[in-house]
Amino acid sequence: MTCHEVNERAVPYLELDLDPSLVRDVTAHLEGCTDCRAEMEAVRQVLVRLKGRTVPDPGEQFWEEFPDQVRRRLAQAQGEGTPLKQPSRRFRSWNGLSLRSWSMALAASVMLLVGAWLLAGLIEPRNEGPVLREQTVAQAPTGQVPVEQLDEPSVNHDRPDLIEEDWPGDWEDDPDTILVEMASSLDRRTVDRLFEDI
Amino acid sequence: MAESDNQLLDRYAAGDESAFEELVRRHQKTIYDLAYRMLENHADAADLAQRTFVQAFLHVQSFRRESSFRTWLFQIGLNLCRNTLRNRARVAHENADEVPLVASQDTFATAANAELRDRLGHAIRALPERQRQALVLRVYHDHAFAEIGTIMSCSEGTAKANYHHAVHRLRRVLVVGEESV
Repeated sequence: MTCHEVNERAVPYLELDLDPSLVRDVTAHLEGCTDCRAEMEAVRQVLVRLKGRTVPDPGEQFWEEFPDQVRRRLAQAQGEGTPLKQPSRRFRSWNGLSLRSWSMALAASVMLLVGAWLLAGLIEPRNEGPVLREQTVAQAPTGQVPVEQLDEPSVNHDRPDLIEEDWPGDWEDDPDTILVEMASSLDRRTVDRLFEDI
Repeated sequence: MAESDNQLLDRYAAGDESAFEELVRRHQKTIYDLAYRMLENHADAADLAQRTFVQAFLHVQSFRRESSFRTWLFQIGLNLCRNTLRNRARVAHENADEVPLVASQDTFATAANAELRDRLGHAIRALPERQRQALVLRVYHDHAFAEIGTIMSCSEGTAKANYHHAVHRLRRVLVVGEESV
């Protein structure tokens, strides 16, 4: 092995990162070569001095505050003034929503259904549909003046397409009807409170 | 038994704030050390270490876990160091005209003293960027060459060559310096 080859392998030799057969060759060369021994010692000194260089410790307070500093800058980078925004927020389940959100959503749904229901009643042709044979004041859900007992085609604002016998089946099959019923039973104050939230 | 980084990342992804803090605390000293050794002053090192974590958590969804979280932090940190050093070089170049052509005797004396105090530090700063990176990762963070290659986006052999060149260059600089003192 030549001096140049030994010199090239000085760092891995000193770091024990050399193939064992090469280690033997380098060691054998060093035993008979003063210059290469001196060179090897110089490289070793560089490594020792490098290892000896320390970084000043900025202090316990710096480390203590470090995560908060990162958190603030992260929030800033995310364009929010609030603390750390969790990346998984959009994956959260329904139970992550607040009660207020739920009540607002429910109120909005109910009001939409009521609106749609009233609108449907207004645009429904009045001279079509079966005859409503009986209807009393107590049965009128909105408290309006009841439609009189008629043999002629009825003007029923509730469900003009249903005769009374059909109500139970329809009631069970259509969950929206339950919501409509709930909405119609709300008093004025409750409706106002729901709108207030919205 | 301590949780792994990946377990903490999972908890962070599930919205656990304490996992964020644990991850930062676990690696803050290492990343600050890297930044300080590359930039050599506290203010820049602190800023860069914080930015490294900010970038990591901003883009945590893109971390594919093909390497360790620590290696990924090193990659981000070194990229930021590279940008900072280039900006420094640009500013120094732009301000070159403002430097007086004839320095005072005091300036020379101060520089000479500083050089005597930390000749090795000057020699490290003068290393080519890639060699310096390999040196810092190997000597101060005990990375294997394969990992250094991953961090520096090069082969294991290239990482090893950069490191060996760095050590030999430092050795030459120090010998010349010692002979001239």
